[in-house]
Amino acid sequence: MKRITVLFLTLLVIFTLTSCNDNTEPVPVEVPAGKPEPVNAEETVITDKELTCTLSVRCDTILDNMSDFDKDKTDIVPFDGVILGETEVVFYEGETVFNLLRREMKKNGIHMEFNEVPMYESAYIEGIANIYEFDCGELSGWMYKVNDWFPNYGCSRYKLKEHDKVEWIYTCDLGRDIGTDYSQRNGKDNE
Amino acid sequence: MNEFKMYHPLVNFSYFAYVLGLACTGMHPLMLASSLFCSFLYMCIINGKKALHSLAFLLPAIILTSLINPLFNHEGMTILGYLPDGNPLTSESIIYGLCAAASLVSVLCFFSCFSSVMTSDKFMYLFGKIIPSLSLILSMTLRFVPLFSERLKKTAEVQKCIGKGLDEKGVFRKIKNALRILSITVTWALENAIDTADSMKARGYGTGKRTSFSNYRLEKRDIAMLLYILFLGTYVIIGNVSGQMDFSFYPVIKSTPITRYSISVFISYFLLCMTPVIIELWEVRRWKYLR
Repeated sequence: MKRITVLFLTLLVIFTLTSCNDNTEPVPVEVPAGKPEPVNAEETVITDKELTCTLSVRCDTILDNMSDFDKDKTDIVPFDGVILGETEVVFYEGETVFNLLRREMKKNGIHMEFNEVPMYESAYIEGIANIYEFDCGELSGWMYKVNDWFPNYGCSRYKLKEHDKVEWIYTCDLGRDIGTDYSQRNGKDNE
Repeated sequence: MNEFKMYHPLVNFSYFAYVLGLACTGMHPLMLASSLFCSFLYMCIINGKKALHSLAFLLPAIILTSLINPLFNHEGMTILGYLPDGNPLTSESIIYGLCAAASLVSVLCFFSCFSSVMTSDKFMYLFGKIIPSLSLILSMTLRFVPLFSERLKKTAEVQKCIGKGLDEKGVFRKIKNALRILSITVTWALENAIDTADSMKARGYGTGKRTSFSNYRLEKRDIAMLLYILFLGTYVIIGNVSGQMDFSFYPVIKSTPITRYSISVFISYFLLCMTPVIIELWEVRRWKYLR
């Protein structure tokens, strides 16, 4: 009796595991002229050479949309909307925006959650400092900007260069409130 | 050892409806603690030593649920460390996992009590007139599961006698025998369904309005108990809806301030859950006293 149950459970588990396997093809990206091409995070080599760039994390758009914001979380939004002020940080040659964010958040004890999205061959940042996507209306989430440009590909595909200015900004309106428009971009991609 | 079962089906059903509904929806640790405590105690009273056997299933369920949550949920202000995949491990997600496990286990315990108190004739008595076909289907389906497992056991025993049991050597042979046993049992169930249909037709099912016989009478003590359950249940639901039992886990664990009113709500929830246990203890005491 027990063995039959175990057998069927195993079959069920195998079936679920195999059907979960999503083999979606990566989406090709078209990058505007003059902007850096996306890299493949798995193929890049990280060396020991130390370089510097600046990093900041902000969520001031929430302050203007407080009525839409998750009521349980009102206490955790900084009063000026700055989670990490613009700071000079060290990175290693070959690292991506994602590597940098992950290390700096860990170093500063700031909470950050991501998941890997095979379709975009990149990590997707779900939440920083417990402020998550969709916390401020259904068009909200984290986006990143390097040297005043919002890349149209994922953050683990943007290879950092010396003196890059990396900004992570929370949007409440698909980027329209921070100077870009996610829905207008050709290569549909995450922040 | 189950005095609550002797009460009117309406009393039994209203108790379980309130308690299961509240145990599913409430996430306040005080509430979970009282439902977990009462449901397990009641299950022990009903099943005696057999209840302890179910611990073998319940404890792994608790551990598994509380471990799985922090693996997939990384929200929370208190970072304890980092998981191998790089996401933070937070104390909030662990506590949420524990609370979800407590809720799951107490609901399971309550359901185990429900199935031994609310027998199918009680169910048919309550719902046979209001929703005849649905209650027939429900009671047949509910009966089907234990019947099927019983027959599965029987078939396995018979197959074992002819040397096609599950303890034969070889994985392939085992699978083959298991499938054979399953196929026999399914065939049996299907054949049984046809028999049931024929039998029902022969007895004139569907030709007219059905009458039903029942032995249940709403006595004075049933009415008193019903009023007690309805009063407490409604009081708790009002308290729950007005936010006296609110508890948020993310991003920081925060309970609504405990006031006199909310304490009264928690106490009434505890009393509501304890009803069958109190009845049981009361009866034991009276029995001793009368002797």
